[in-house]
Parts: sequence; C-alpha cells; structure tokens
Amino acid sequence: MRTYEVFLKRPGKDEFRHAGSLQAVDSEMAKILARDSYCRRGEGDQMWLVDRTHIVEVDPDLLATTVDLPHRNNDGSAVAARRKRLREQAS
Amino acid sequence: MIELSEAAKAYLLAFADDEHMIGSRHANWIGLGPFLEEDLAFCSIAQDELGHALALYDMFVPTGEIDRFALLREPADYRSCALAELECPTWDLALVRHWLYDSAEALRWSALVGSEVDDLGALATQALRDEAFHAQHAEMFVERVVGDRAARSRIERALAEVLPVASSVWTPPDGEETAVAEGVVTRSSASLAMVWADQIRTQLDGLGLAVDPQLAQGLDELPPASTRHHRINQFDRFHTSLGEVISLDPSAIW
Repeated sequence: MRTYEVFLKRPGKDEFRHAGSLQAVDSEMAKILARDSYCRRGEGDQMWLVDRTHIVEVDPDLLATTVDLPHRNNDGSAVAARRKRLREQAS
Repeated sequence: MIELSEAAKAYLLAFADDEHMIGSRHANWIGLGPFLEEDLAFCSIAQDELGHALALYDMFVPTGEIDRFALLREPADYRSCALAELECPTWDLALVRHWLYDSAEALRWSALVGSEVDDLGALATQALRDEAFHAQHAEMFVERVVGDRAARSRIERALAEVLPVASSVWTPPDGEETAVAEGVVTRSSASLAMVWADQIRTQLDGLGLAVDPQLAQGLDELPPASTRHHRINQFDRFHTSLGEVISLDPSAIW
C-alpha cells in the first residue's frame, strides 16, 4: 500500500488545501478511494493526490536557524519608536 | 406520484427491490471493510444503491408508506433476484457479487434513459453517473487483487459460488414484454443479458480467471420470471434484520 496526501480546492478563488491522507495500492485506485474518503459531499471540485514518497521534506534544523535572527522579523515597531522619539525631541 | 401501468409498476418494483437488497447487503460491511478507505467507498456505494431504491419506490408507492413497503412486506411479496439477496459473509464473495451486479445494473439503467415514463429517464441518467463509479471501483479492485496468487484463488472460489446465481439479475420482471411495448424500458432483460454476459466473459478471460466453462457459458441463460416470486433460503433472517428497528414501533414517524 502507498500513502497519498489529499489536497482539495473549493470552487472559486480558494487555494488547494491539505485535506488528509489515504492508503491505496496505486494512484488509479487512490483516485477512486479519495472520492469517497474526502469528497462525498462536494467538499471540493478539484483534487490533487500526492504520493507521500514524492514529497521533498526539509530538515527541521535548516528551518530552526531563522528563529535566532530577530532582525529578519522587523515588524516596524523599532522604526516607529525611533521616529516617535525624534518627533518628541524636535518639538 | 405519477400514473403508471401495471406492467410499469411491476418492472420498477423488481428493479427497486434488487437495489434495496443489494444496498442493504453491501451496508452490512460498514465498519468491516478490508481497510478504512475501502470501507468508506463500499458503504458509500451501498448508500447510492439504497438511494436508487428509494427513488424507484417513490415512483409508485405513496409518500409516507415507503418505509413500511420497503421493510415490512411479506417475503413472498418481494420481487428481488437471488444475486441481490445472496448472503456474502466473506469479502471475496461480496467483491465478486459487487462486480457482477454493478456491471449489470449499469446496463439496466442505460435501458431506462430513453423511457417514456415521466422522470424515469432523468433518474436513469443520474444513476448512471453513480454506476460508472461503482463499476470502475469493482473492476479496478478485482484487477488488483488477482495479481496475488492467494487472492486470485479466493476470487476463483468466490466466482464458483456466485456465478451460478449471477444471471438471476436478468430474471424478467412480471409483464416485461408489456413494459417494453409501452416504452417503460427500451430493451428486454434477455438482450441486456447477452451484452452483460459477453462483457463478463471478456473480463474473466482478460484476467485469466479459471472458472467452470459451463458457468461462464450459462451467464446469459435467464431464469423464468416466476423465480422473482421466490426468496433465497437465508432470506427470512435477512428480512427480519431489515425490519428490526421499524418493527419496534411501526406507527412512529421518522
């Protein structure tokens, strides 16, 4: 059995969203089974099935480095505080 | 409810009872399927069949009486075929019956698309969309399991058990000739049975499944219409289970 990740898209401008996963012997059978597992009540009008072995997974260590770099998370508050301080000094 | 001739009612009754029985038999697999995804798919197919039965009963049974009609008739008053009634206690039997029945069902609906009966053609067109999926599901499942030697021999044993009653699905309903003449249905059971039997024999050959040649040859031999008046041996137990809840309080409004 292979594991497939299921992505569904509702009609309109919504993006594809992960709906869950399922097991099937191959991709053709997965299409048949996905219909009843995830789309019985019109939850979407488009579906992607991705064989889990085809997913490229990123090492969590590679992602963890960014949390130690607060200057990359500038939300503007430091600049706003500095401008406020300068305004107050000027007045 | 529309005005229907006696022949039309008899024709629809036989088809509705077949759909009711197969839907209920399939539904027995709720929670017992070989894996969760298949459990969901098979039970969804069961619900589709019960939906078809309801839509057909609705054409000739007064609203409000359908539950009692469907569940509480005397066994002798049902007109279902042996293939639909058959108890299939193992998954291989259920799968083989699903394959044989659904390929026949698709042909039966296709012969109703051009019906002269109001609304029946539209219902048939809608049901055919379900049946395309059902047939695909059954065929793909069988194709895949027969790749395994042990599974193949189980499917062959199941075929030996189910094929002898398979052609019962083509038992003509009472008065079928009149129904055809009136335009209720565009093709007789006998002519549909020939198409179906060729289709099944081709699939059996294609999959290399070993079956008794006489059984394969006899697939288009129709039982007489009177056999729809008789139930299979295990029917009483099944019938009791169908009416178990409604019998608790037959006057309850659900």
